[in-house]
Amino acid sequence: MSNNDSPSGQTISLDVYAVALALVLALLVRLNLLPPIKW
Amino acid sequence: MVTTIVPVCTETPVRRFIALIPGLLLLIAVGYAGKSIEQSIAVYTKARHITFPNIEYVLWAIVIGLVIANTVGVPRIFQAGVATYEFWLKAGIVLLGSRFLLGDVLHLGGISLLLVAIAITLSLTFMHILGRTFRLKPKLTSLLAIGSSICGVSAIIAAKPAIDADDEDASYAIAAILALGAISLFTFPLVGHSLHLSDKAYGLWAGLAVDNTAEATAAGALYSDAAGKVAVLAKTTRNALIGFIVLGYALYWSARGEAQAVKNKAAFLWRKFPKFVLGFLLISLLATLGFFAKPQLVSLANLSRWAFLLTFAGVGLRTSLRELGKQGWRPFAVGAIGEVFIALLTLGLVYGADRYLHL
Repeated sequence: MSNNDSPSGQTISLDVYAVALALVLALLVRLNLLPPIKW
Repeated sequence: MVTTIVPVCTETPVRRFIALIPGLLLLIAVGYAGKSIEQSIAVYTKARHITFPNIEYVLWAIVIGLVIANTVGVPRIFQAGVATYEFWLKAGIVLLGSRFLLGDVLHLGGISLLLVAIAITLSLTFMHILGRTFRLKPKLTSLLAIGSSICGVSAIIAAKPAIDADDEDASYAIAAILALGAISLFTFPLVGHSLHLSDKAYGLWAGLAVDNTAEATAAGALYSDAAGKVAVLAKTTRNALIGFIVLGYALYWSARGEAQAVKNKAAFLWRKFPKFVLGFLLISLLATLGFFAKPQLVSLANLSRWAFLLTFAGVGLRTSLRELGKQGWRPFAVGAIGEVFIALLTLGLVYGADRYLHL
């Protein structure tokens, strides 16, 4: 997986979107708005 | 790595999203198949009282993906969706922060903490010397060093995008770490019993030397309940350091090469720095501060596992065996020699500390 081929803007936005999704999910879990996630 | 270049899309966001669906479904199918195989084997061996090391879904998902990609191939319709695996990887790493409580470090005790620090430093140093001796690619050496000194698969997962390593390097490092972890399940209890190690000494050794959390826990529990608890604590302490080690490697690799050509190194480092590492540290800090209740931490850890399920299906589907074969036997030799060295080193440290400093 190389980010070197992609413009830096795209790399940053992928990181930001991934972090944003994770934080939103964490917040939903914290506020008990998601059912318990099973594995 | 054989990578299919996805053409730059000039289509609408909705059509781009629709184009991702077949590949996403393939990731889910492959990942879920990996999870099912792991669980089926566990149920089968438990029902028949067969001692068999747990082979994690990670490896199965990679293997299934590899088989598909290197036999029938991945049709073009799936490729855009399969390429999203990097996104799931980063989201999964941020959520993984919930499993690494910085406060766990304090429960272990001073001498044990010192042993953890010494073991990690010597392991990283030795793996880099070994990698250089065997002339491995520097990033593969970094992955093997991080994997064998910190925390196995999780550390490799976290480090891979941070140091921008190839899929083949990560697949190889993960396979080597998991294979060697399985072997340790059989050998560690035998060595512990023959040396008459105390529960605490053995647990500390297992927690320091076995790389993957699941295997370290199992290796400890195979000795005794008390040893299992110490192994988990020592392993968690190593895990807690993952963010800092990955941060160090990310800075190192960011600063190499291109950094000399730029005027503002700080701005360059920030631009190249993987932002998801900060997300990981933030979630880890929140978990440490008690922001999440225990069941919520379990949910977050499980969410990260689901994200990795998609990730590793994608890694397998995008890995070329031909490219992997070009790396030859040397990476595995480095992993094996390194693991044996680390096992002996940590055994010596723990044995000495138990004898003279009374752990």
